[in-house]
Amino acid sequence: MKRTECYRCLGAALARRDFLRAGTLSFLGMTLPDFLRFESVQARAATLAGNSLPKAKAQAVILVWLEGGLSQLESWDVKANGAFKTIPTSAPGIQVAEIFPRIAQHMDKLSVIRSMKTEERNHPQGTIQTLTGHRPIPALKFPSVGSIVAKEAGSRNNMPPFVIVPMPTEGDFFNYQEAYQAGFVGSEYDGMILPDPSRPDFHLPDLSLPKSVSSDVIADRQTLLRIVDRHFRQKEELAEFAKMDAFDEQALKMLLDPQVKKAFDLSQESEKTKDRYGRHRVGQSMLLARRLVEAGCRFVTAAGYKHGQWDTHGDMEQLLRGTLAPLLDQTLSALMEDLTQRGLLESTVVMVSGEFGRTPVINPKGGRDHWPDCWSLLVGGGGIAGGRIVGASDKEGAYVADRPVAVGDLYATIYKAMGIDWTQTYMSPIARPVYIANGFDDVPGNPLKELI
Amino acid sequence: MTHWKGVDRKVTAIALAFVFGSLTAVSGESEPAQKPLRSLRIVPSNAAIWGAPPIQHFVVIGRSADGLEQDVTSEVQFTLSDSALGQIDRSGKFVARGSGAVALTAKAGGQTAKTTIRIEEFEKPRPFTFVRDIGGILTKRGCNDTNCHGGVKGRGGLRLSIFGIDPREDYKWIVEGGHFRVLTTEENPKYSRVNSKDPEKSLLLLKPTMSVAHGGGLRLEAGSEDYRAILNWVREGAPYGEEPEQQGVRVERVEVIPAEAVLQEGQRLQLVVTGYLSNGKREDLTEKVRYLSNDEHVVDVSDTGMVTAKTLGETHILVRTPGHTLSADIGVIQGPVRHFPKLQARNYIDEEVLGKLRRFHVLPSELSGDAEFLRRVCLDLTGTLPPPHRVREFIADSNPQKRDRLIDALLSSPEFVDYWSFRFGDLLRATFVNSLTIRGSRAYQNWIANSLATNKPYDQLVRERIAAQGFSAPARNFYYVAELTTTEVLMPELIRLFMGRRIECAQCHNHPFETWSQNQYWGLAAFFAGYTEVRDAQVGNGLIIDVLGGGHVDQPKEMRVANPRTKEKVDPTFLDGTKLPEKEWMDPRMHLARWATSHPYFAEASANRVWSFFFGRGLVEPVDDFRSTNPVSHPKLLQTLAKDFRDSSYDLKRLMKTIVQSRTYQLSATPNASNKADKSAYSHAQARPLEAAVLLDAVTQVTGSPEAFEFHRLAGDGAATPGTRAIDTIADICPSQFMDNFGRSTRKALPAASPQPNLLASLHRMAGPAYNEKIVREGGRLSERMAKLVSDEQILDEFYLAALTRFPTPTEKAELLKVLSERPTRRKDTLASLVWAILNSREFAYNH
Repeated sequence: MKRTECYRCLGAALARRDFLRAGTLSFLGMTLPDFLRFESVQARAATLAGNSLPKAKAQAVILVWLEGGLSQLESWDVKANGAFKTIPTSAPGIQVAEIFPRIAQHMDKLSVIRSMKTEERNHPQGTIQTLTGHRPIPALKFPSVGSIVAKEAGSRNNMPPFVIVPMPTEGDFFNYQEAYQAGFVGSEYDGMILPDPSRPDFHLPDLSLPKSVSSDVIADRQTLLRIVDRHFRQKEELAEFAKMDAFDEQALKMLLDPQVKKAFDLSQESEKTKDRYGRHRVGQSMLLARRLVEAGCRFVTAAGYKHGQWDTHGDMEQLLRGTLAPLLDQTLSALMEDLTQRGLLESTVVMVSGEFGRTPVINPKGGRDHWPDCWSLLVGGGGIAGGRIVGASDKEGAYVADRPVAVGDLYATIYKAMGIDWTQTYMSPIARPVYIANGFDDVPGNPLKELI
Repeated sequence: MTHWKGVDRKVTAIALAFVFGSLTAVSGESEPAQKPLRSLRIVPSNAAIWGAPPIQHFVVIGRSADGLEQDVTSEVQFTLSDSALGQIDRSGKFVARGSGAVALTAKAGGQTAKTTIRIEEFEKPRPFTFVRDIGGILTKRGCNDTNCHGGVKGRGGLRLSIFGIDPREDYKWIVEGGHFRVLTTEENPKYSRVNSKDPEKSLLLLKPTMSVAHGGGLRLEAGSEDYRAILNWVREGAPYGEEPEQQGVRVERVEVIPAEAVLQEGQRLQLVVTGYLSNGKREDLTEKVRYLSNDEHVVDVSDTGMVTAKTLGETHILVRTPGHTLSADIGVIQGPVRHFPKLQARNYIDEEVLGKLRRFHVLPSELSGDAEFLRRVCLDLTGTLPPPHRVREFIADSNPQKRDRLIDALLSSPEFVDYWSFRFGDLLRATFVNSLTIRGSRAYQNWIANSLATNKPYDQLVRERIAAQGFSAPARNFYYVAELTTTEVLMPELIRLFMGRRIECAQCHNHPFETWSQNQYWGLAAFFAGYTEVRDAQVGNGLIIDVLGGGHVDQPKEMRVANPRTKEKVDPTFLDGTKLPEKEWMDPRMHLARWATSHPYFAEASANRVWSFFFGRGLVEPVDDFRSTNPVSHPKLLQTLAKDFRDSSYDLKRLMKTIVQSRTYQLSATPNASNKADKSAYSHAQARPLEAAVLLDAVTQVTGSPEAFEFHRLAGDGAATPGTRAIDTIADICPSQFMDNFGRSTRKALPAASPQPNLLASLHRMAGPAYNEKIVREGGRLSERMAKLVSDEQILDEFYLAALTRFPTPTEKAELLKVLSERPTRRKDTLASLVWAILNSREFAYNH
């Protein structure tokens, strides 16, 4: 096959070749009939979405955020020292922990990276490193991946580009919000933080005009504002004023666009759907995330776990089996099904991760502690291949045995899927150039060839 | 007697005769070239050349009738009194041919200038030193720039010290080779960059001439003077040369002429750089130094120091040579100011500011009108808008002292304490981490308020903050705020906040831009090595102390930290290298506090910060980023402010009063044609956005509808006392969506730059309760006035006075009343829309 410059074609060619080779340690063990069947499933999915070829460009990202740090050994990278047995999944060659039976049925859509490697061992710092790709330093606030996507991809359909649902933490006062926000890039790219969508009184502050504000009133306000501000703006016009004008315009469009309001309105969903996702904070956040990307948001963080809930330092088995796994299993599988059925999977990247992994050794309290040296996460959709394994950990799931992956490599993959130049640097206010995809050893990350 | 009503042109006893004396009103067109000249001068004057190569650059400056000076060298006819002693070319470069004294005459535009050149030992080469001769080339050619070999990790395996500050290291790297890693000191195989067997094949020559691939591009022409200098050096065995530190000749001081210049767009100016040597001689360094423009939109500069003015503005040209960094301040203007008004200076601030404006041909704006001044000074000193009756009062007052009286009244008001408690609360970060420490955070905030109420000397306040320990010192609550429990974070914040230096980058490696070394960083961090908290489970409070051994009383007694790269232990060391004696290790932070507050950095950083409160920018900007590559806009003014602050025992109120009494502060914010591009010379006031809390309080005050604050669940739930203002609240205790949208500081980090426009703020202004419900609430200003059957016109006046501190102009009034009259059936809605419009105007949301 002749190599072309078009990365889309190249991507397709690679996909075929590497499909059988993703991660050198595992041969997927597919027989030809399996392979052909797999191919046809892909093609059918593509047809459902109305495209005969997978789109090269993803339009949005949903980050399923597992605050506290999910244990890789009890989820996507089970080893002998894991607490649970494994079950096969819809992706031949991938096994996951038995506590995620429904997610197992969707592993053809999600790939697992088993060799994530970071350095920060504590929650605030780990959250910052995983969400920005950079280790936190006092001199600079790095922009999160959500803010970068918002900046690069821009807004669609008058929707705010970056939304965080719900509020990142209710527990302690580490400023986790910092990790999600735009940092030095500018507060225009901060995420819009929503309250808990599962509450009966859930409403978007500021997303609907009060009833008293009719279109007459809106017109009057604009007329009067022009008169009142003219005197001052004739004398002094700052660049900021024009920026404010632009945001005001955007805000008004959002407020007047019924589609925007509808996007945030969960009552538009059927009871069946709400049940499927689960009538709790995690489920309804996931459901709202799907609505939001459908309406045009670019990056939505879907969380809703209690503060650091995945941080199982003790009673791990019980917590996982009893509470955490059922929550994730229900909600993530609902999301994957929903995205597939609505034809959104081709255009939506789904990333499932916490801030780090957990220790290979169980501690005296029956739990695992923080472990950044080798951990796992799931990513797929939006043109990023599913059903693959990238990298491998050693026998205990402790250290990377093959193909260490930096956060920047992961983000380079996502940026590539979205058509964003992943090698870019942003210039920070301290005159230090900052990679938007920060790889190992201070170079930009590389998109994972196995996946895109 | 000073008059503050309007613009006063009377010359008074405090005239600036000595500054303005030379200027007279002139007419006449000005064109960038070929203006008739009034006088001519040669720089440098009285040049003295010593040693070979015997070179001196001259620049001839012509002054024209409009007062502007220009580089006219290219139009000059030079003559030398004795051509045997040397020759001079068209660019003004003189090369001596003999020792002695020769007179140089320059003629241009009908004017003449003369100077004498003394030449000594014209053939004897100056003593060679690696530092100056090779190091100079590396600096000039940009080899040791931050983004090249001078970067933290160097490039291509070669690492040089930034600005050549460590010549011994550089020498080792070049002659012996080396390999750099950030966090270890492992050595890899080394290879030399000089080839003694075949000097022309030295990498040091092959690379910059692009004879082999070089990421840095062409830096040296083969056969050029610098090339030959390096080649000869290698041929002679690559010696280090004299030790300048001991008996050798070193450059003690470097000077650039002119240090200040004003150009018109398109004009050029050649800079001359002179090194003053330790043996009393001089050296012309014009061709040997590195030139950089701090803002290439405004001016650019060639490799040989020729500055070209591009667009209006002001910036600095940085000049770098091993061991020295200096700058020239260049302004680019449209044309000369033909008539600079005689203006009186209230104090030294005005003298300095007006002096610079005059020299840079920038006309200051008019003095602010009363309404403008009233609003600005109320916001700047108290964060509170004056109520309508105060506005009427002040505007009507005919007392010539009214501005001073207003300043005094504001300085002694309780709102002053409230507002500055809020501002300093942001800086000193009065907040809390978990429910155990809420009382402590309130105690800390109260300590700040009390310090301000008693006008505690600022240095004392800072010492109390740095050295706080024990159970009861309220400032110890600072140390609870999350993420601050490591020395790596505690120390840089202190340096940044109180000494204006950003030392953070030196944590892992020598600072990339400045000369902070990693050892200096960890030496300071060691002062916090013993800091710890001993918790008393019953009391619940922690005891903040410094414990030898870092918290474990049975550990070996030491107050040291380990440098993470070299793994060596570092003692508590002050910036100048002095170590804290071991007998003082029981109370390191007290010594650190004393040292910090008596260090010259403290006075200048503090004065700079207080200045920035009133002008939106510091004389050094950002205010906590003093460095050699970030020149001060008014160096003498900063020195005077710092000295004034220090001599008055760091009296905050007094410094603030000095600032707001100055004419400079009281200038209008309306620019004129001459100064509209100016952002850093204080020719006019700059508009600044209101802080979130101030904005919310303003909205509350204008609408007359109080804001109810509720405590966060973790802060104990419940409602704040009615009447609590936004500036009284701490983010984590009293959440507020309004303030979050408008950029409130959570105090989890130092305050960011001023609030930026963003989508959430816009949404809130369209749809949020503060801009809707608050306006029409029962009992609020609008509904009360309507209930009292007040006329449209009176309502209009009142809201303008309340929000914008002025009456509407006749045009505004007519247009607005017209709109109202066209909607007779919707009077309430339309009035509410009017209030909405006022609150949404930029004029309202900005301090100007």
